[in-house]
Amino acid sequence: MPQPAFNDWRLAALTPLPSWAIALAVLAALVALIMAWRGLRTEPRPWRRYALLALRAVSALLALFLLLEPAVLQLQTARTRLRFAVLVDGSRSMRFPVEPGGASRGEAVAGLLTGGRAELSRLAERVDLDVRRFSAQAAPADLDGLAKGLSPDGSRTDLLGALQAVAAGPGRKLAGVLLLSDGADNAALAGGLTPAARAELKALGVPVNTVAAGRESPRDLAVERVAAEEFAFVRSSITVEATLRAHGLDPGPVTVVLRREGAVVAQAVVQLEAGKDRYQVPLTFRPDTTGTFVFTVAAPVLPGEAVTANNQRSFVLRVIRDRVRVLLVAGRPSWDERFLRGLLKQDPNVDLVSFFILRTNSDQPGSQDQLSLIPFPVAEIFGPQLKTFDAVLLLNFNYAPYRVLDIERFLPNLRDYVRGGGGLAMIGGEQSFGEGRYGATPLAEILPVTPLDGAGLVEERFRPRPTADGRRHPITALGTGEAATAAAWEALPPLEVLNRTRRLPPGAGAAVLLEAPGVLVDGQPAPVVAVREVGAGRTLAVTSDGSWSWGFLAAEQGGGDGAYRRFWSAALRWLVRDPELTPLKAEPDAPAVEPGAPIGLAISLRGADYGPAPGRKVTVELVAEDGRSVARSEAVTGTDGAVRVELPAAPPGAYKVQARAEPLPGGTPETTTTALTVRGAGPEDGDATPRPELLAAIAELTGGDAATLPGGSLPRLRQLEPEVVEIGQRKELPIWNRWWFIVALGCSLGAEWILRRRWGYW
Amino acid sequence: MSSPLTRRSFLATLAAGLAGAALPARARDGVASSPVTIGQLVHDGRWNPRPSALKRLGWELARRTSIETSPEPVPIRLEAPGLHRHPLLYLAGEGPLPPLSDAARAALRRHLQFGGLLLTDSADGAEGGPFDATLRRELARLLPAAPLAPIPQAHVLYKTFYLLDRQGGRVAVKPWLEGVSLDGRLAVIHTQNDLGGAWARSDLGDWEYPCTPGGEPQRETAIRLGVNLAMYALCTDYKDDAVHMPFIMKRRT
Repeated sequence: MPQPAFNDWRLAALTPLPSWAIALAVLAALVALIMAWRGLRTEPRPWRRYALLALRAVSALLALFLLLEPAVLQLQTARTRLRFAVLVDGSRSMRFPVEPGGASRGEAVAGLLTGGRAELSRLAERVDLDVRRFSAQAAPADLDGLAKGLSPDGSRTDLLGALQAVAAGPGRKLAGVLLLSDGADNAALAGGLTPAARAELKALGVPVNTVAAGRESPRDLAVERVAAEEFAFVRSSITVEATLRAHGLDPGPVTVVLRREGAVVAQAVVQLEAGKDRYQVPLTFRPDTTGTFVFTVAAPVLPGEAVTANNQRSFVLRVIRDRVRVLLVAGRPSWDERFLRGLLKQDPNVDLVSFFILRTNSDQPGSQDQLSLIPFPVAEIFGPQLKTFDAVLLLNFNYAPYRVLDIERFLPNLRDYVRGGGGLAMIGGEQSFGEGRYGATPLAEILPVTPLDGAGLVEERFRPRPTADGRRHPITALGTGEAATAAAWEALPPLEVLNRTRRLPPGAGAAVLLEAPGVLVDGQPAPVVAVREVGAGRTLAVTSDGSWSWGFLAAEQGGGDGAYRRFWSAALRWLVRDPELTPLKAEPDAPAVEPGAPIGLAISLRGADYGPAPGRKVTVELVAEDGRSVARSEAVTGTDGAVRVELPAAPPGAYKVQARAEPLPGGTPETTTTALTVRGAGPEDGDATPRPELLAAIAELTGGDAATLPGGSLPRLRQLEPEVVEIGQRKELPIWNRWWFIVALGCSLGAEWILRRRWGYW
Repeated sequence: MSSPLTRRSFLATLAAGLAGAALPARARDGVASSPVTIGQLVHDGRWNPRPSALKRLGWELARRTSIETSPEPVPIRLEAPGLHRHPLLYLAGEGPLPPLSDAARAALRRHLQFGGLLLTDSADGAEGGPFDATLRRELARLLPAAPLAPIPQAHVLYKTFYLLDRQGGRVAVKPWLEGVSLDGRLAVIHTQNDLGGAWARSDLGDWEYPCTPGGEPQRETAIRLGVNLAMYALCTDYKDDAVHMPFIMKRRT
């Protein structure tokens, strides 16, 4: 039988005694030593004392040695085989040149792998090579394939993620890593080696050797980042902070613009300087309309830029009101004015500006300086200030009498204000509608009824009745359901005064919501409340100055003033297009969609009674900035009136989402619009600056070696030493049972005995 | 020089602009579609000590302001239906106010809570007279949580139309009005100065009562206060709006 080949040895104790017995023996040896020392305290000659003590100590050690039964253990061992990872960056930034005018970073890495093939092959004899190509994730790859060419197409660079993935296995324990990348991390290490990142790299526990592909940034101008709130208040200034990054560009001015769906709303000139690569660009503007819009910050594309997709960046901003700004103009103090002002003043969502005509020229109040009256600032409020109001309420107000003020010249302005998105309500009285001779003014073009000039007021009791439209319309739907609404109106006190007006022909965008059953105009019941969509704005007509009786008068009968409050609150919200009143809503999952990702939208539809509208078909269309329809989808609302719609992925850009709910028979379709962006320059294209310093720092932190391309070669591949493990037989060779141990023990004991006898200790 | 004069004339021009140089006849010859009618409360005591007072106040309102009033006030009992047709109620009396019935008190409370305004006017002509004493007891029962308190000089009531620094009346018992506030607005305004006595005027145009001790200026102040009270009822705190402030400050100084 052949002797096994032992290649290692170590000392071992063969004693069968338990460890407590060994401890007891050690204790006994110590006691013997101490006793010897105590017995020799009186010895005047130190050398005698030390000699006797040394002999006692040698005897104790030898006795312990015999007790422990030491032996030499002969072993057969081997070194474990470890794994070494080669991580190659396959992200898109590797397409950029390694140096201006040079080969691509990917080609440089492939060249290095080709050149270092022999070294890596030698390494593969000792360790398992774990070759991976990474971007957002790390996937196994073939070294020869990588050496031939990379074709980098990954949309992200996650260095730490790739390192952690290889550290986690599978396979043998990791000994080291060779990381080949441009270092343009846009994941955990985008901000550099933060303390958390350092801790994570340390936790890998292996040296990371790095090869940085690329030293210089490509020539590029990029809108790197846009910091904007999710929403802004209409007519309030908002500042968007854009970060402009410039590499390799000549000093000089560049103009950065902020566009809202094509129209430039703000711009700034940035002076590029040598040696500075980041610029903060504040862009301030005042949104003038509410809604959801796509805004784009764009920098010009300069000649020779490496990336042009990162020269603009879009974001979605929701422009909302902080408070609804209402202008209430009353021709004279009246109960109608008193209660409407009271209602609006109480509403915390309303910023009310009132102007009441408290005296006319025929009134004789006495000296002006004893009055609190102010001049009517007609030129301000109907001129430049007009567009600052969300809604204008004209309550029994006649433009004509105040000749000096010449209010008539502002009426075209008021008409255009409505067409441009404003809300206008005309409320009845002896100075309103036909009694105010509005039939011949530009306001007649936008009012929801035709004023009948000089037709005279109707002074008879009548109870307004909701029309078919009125039973469903949010302004007049006092109850839940049409029958409840009709009953609610029936229960309210009657009105006593009415301005005669004529309905508009069909197709004018108007609807009569309440009518006076007994008062006929052209053979039809006269309108009491009517509404109209005019351009982007809305108008409301209330042809009586008695609406206050739906509140204060109704309250006498025990019903409270809820109907009045509800009517005017809904009327105001309808006039200013309160989004809460929009029956159809479309909400994107996110305002900014990653490229290639499908676009999800939550759709909800409410019926005329403001309850969920189930089983209705909704069409959603994605429209590009140039008006092209890019994607389209249909869905049917569920029992809760909601449905999720998914549109296929769209190319990068800004989009409007137009949703349309099919109408019920005889109804009108509901529509809504929102906006979203599909990210163009993802993080990978946004910043392709190589970061050799980041890779060098990783190498230094983990104990690896670093090299940089171009011009470098493979770094020294530092790695952990493999562990040694016992793999075969072992053999014990006792060394305690040698004769000279016994002789030595006998000699030391004998010598001590003899010396003690001679020196007189016994 | 003389900037006040310039400013005054400037303001006068602007205010003239407010009114218009020449007002044409309004629709239906200046008759409002819904004229303001004051409801005069009828009670079991001497409820109408100055029968011509409200009619004359209405006349002054129409003459001095753009408020259009009904020719006559409407006498109404608290228990009767239609109380809420008159958001402004006038409660006058000479001698004690007989206790209100529970129904009457509930109706008045509801009226005031939903936005109504009650003007109470003692014709007794002396501080703490029988009407004043009984009215205070009644108000304590009507709105126990809201006590009657002096209305401070800075209150909008003193600037709703005229800039006033005191109240007038047939007598000058108190320089200030008292009031009860509900939800930040005055729901009850109380005077012991017999405002009605100062307003009362015969059909021939003669003042029915002399005003003491201030004479005709005191009467004018009472009429102006009546105008301000009506303006307050109809426009509430309109003159507290920010847009009026600079003008009022300028004239007050």
